Amino acid sequence: MTTSAPAGGRPWRFSVRPTPRATRALSSLQLPAFWILAGILFFSGMRLLDLLSSPFARFPAATTTAIILFALYAVPFWLFIASMDFLEREPPLLMATAFAWGALVATTTAMPGNRAMLALLAKTVSPDYAVAWGPAVVSPIIEELLKALGLVMIVLVARKQINSVLDGMVYGALIGLGFQVVENVFYALNAVEMANSGDKVGPVVATFFLRGFLAGLWSHTLFSAVAGAGIAWFIVRTEKSLLIRSLGLAVGLFLAWAVHFIWNSPLLADGLGRGGWGVLTGLLLKGIPALAMVMALLWVARHREANYYISYLVQLRDPKVATERELHTLGHGHLRADARRYAKDRAGKPGKKAVRGLQMAQAHLAVELSRAPFGLTAGDAVLLHARDDVLIRRSRMLKLGLTEAIASPLRPAVPRVVVLGIGAALFLCGLIWFGISSMNAA
Amino acid sequence: MVVHRWWRNLAGALSVLGALLIVVFGLPALDRAVPVNPDAAAAQRREVAGGVTVVPPSGALIAKTSRSGPREGSILFLIGPARFVMAVAPFKGDLPTAYSGLKTKIQSMRGYQVTADEARIVTKSGLHGLTASFTAPGRTGRFAVFLAPGLAIEVTVTGSEADLAQALLRIDESIATIAYGN
Repeated sequence: MTTSAPAGGRPWRFSVRPTPRATRALSSLQLPAFWILAGILFFSGMRLLDLLSSPFARFPAATTTAIILFALYAVPFWLFIASMDFLEREPPLLMATAFAWGALVATTTAMPGNRAMLALLAKTVSPDYAVAWGPAVVSPIIEELLKALGLVMIVLVARKQINSVLDGMVYGALIGLGFQVVENVFYALNAVEMANSGDKVGPVVATFFLRGFLAGLWSHTLFSAVAGAGIAWFIVRTEKSLLIRSLGLAVGLFLAWAVHFIWNSPLLADGLGRGGWGVLTGLLLKGIPALAMVMALLWVARHREANYYISYLVQLRDPKVATERELHTLGHGHLRADARRYAKDRAGKPGKKAVRGLQMAQAHLAVELSRAPFGLTAGDAVLLHARDDVLIRRSRMLKLGLTEAIASPLRPAVPRVVVLGIGAALFLCGLIWFGISSMNAA
Repeated sequence: MVVHRWWRNLAGALSVLGALLIVVFGLPALDRAVPVNPDAAAAQRREVAGGVTVVPPSGALIAKTSRSGPREGSILFLIGPARFVMAVAPFKGDLPTAYSGLKTKIQSMRGYQVTADEARIVTKSGLHGLTASFTAPGRTGRFAVFLAPGLAIEVTVTGSEADLAQALLRIDESIATIAYGN
């Protein structure tokens, strides 16, 4: 059953289902799902190695380059996904499992599934239809199903860790990221095979640019995050009727399928006409709505979760634990980052470190409070330790002359994150445009 | 742990495993069970146009054929996740000119593909050609041009799935069978 946060009547009171404190990772070993998951990962890993062994034997340099490039490409995505859930961080092992499902299981099982369904489509409808619409019809069904099964497996192994819609998005995105990385490696190797010019890294680099930058932002990471939100909604919102929860699940899975379908569809596949601008516009028209939808969903999920946990700190009414302005800062990622920068401006790197420490301790206390039904008054040792940690970190901050972990009062009216986001979007468009132009000239 | 939860957990995990097995083994079995329709290309030499012939890739389906004259026509094969188009048209010029024409056509039509440097290619029957490759966010591809007396033979291969390698082997074998007047 979902625990209500103390701020009763607020829309986020059912947004989180706190992990019981008694939950231990080792208890998963007693679950049959854990061993079945381990077996699936093992056999899929073997299958993936088998699939890579042939290209590696023929194109060792290209294969190694592809693996290294796309592994490095995954790093910023991983860091971004991990940082999505600042207040209640996910266990790294479970995050790695989600990534491994996408990379090992979903990819290797999608290949025969896609191939068979494409052939069935060609036989039962028409080869012409299969050529045009096959990738749009087949891949979203097979691949989104296989990735969603990964999240179902995570739920079976560690259900208590899926506390909120945000958690579902985190695990879903990681499954998608794993899939995207391995799929891109295979695309790169296909390009090497197509080039038919031996063990050259040129086609790998070209694929890295094309699939990484032109198609990377709105690919599997994004599709699976939506599906993850739907699955997590079904699990977390137990106060709602089964029908409503099932509808939420269906909407999440449908949206994941729909954005994948639109991206794969032949519509606007080659842009709005000849020339780079047409191609760029076509890419943006297909990709931006999906990206905007997921970012909006992420914004809502993050704030609902943050408000839920912070409401426990609000209830303490203890400015030594968190002042009102700190509570406001803690709920917003860009304000937290600004508070650390502001501290660095005033007290150097130790100031930044002290504020970060306080923020993390406050987040930890909030999460522990949500897991303790009787709160601090019951003399709970874990809670007292968490509160003491906050007080110690505050005293370290005070020694540096920092009274509050808040954002600068002189910060620009438009949040830095918005400016950076617009800048990054323009830079990306410029990069895509440059890429399209230079490739046309090739 | 409560016993019924253990069994429920087992049932859930087995359901996931079952779904995976259906995708990996069930769908291919279903595909094999559905009879191949008349669109399937028999493994025997087919004329495209103007006396240019090819042996279709094994297991390929013919998606489209067109004939706009005795010396002009095309055929589109579907081989798993790959499509293989072969077009024949009257042409007066040399091989580099034919190659350049197809390359320009691909670049202007597709907009953002990359073409690698061209390489020479020869079919089993002795037709000489030039080939190169391209790649895009959603697909990779290869094209080739061969010359026969008064004719240009254009071949384009594209695919959008991660497991194209098997299909490519079959397509390469098919390209090697392109012949004129045999």
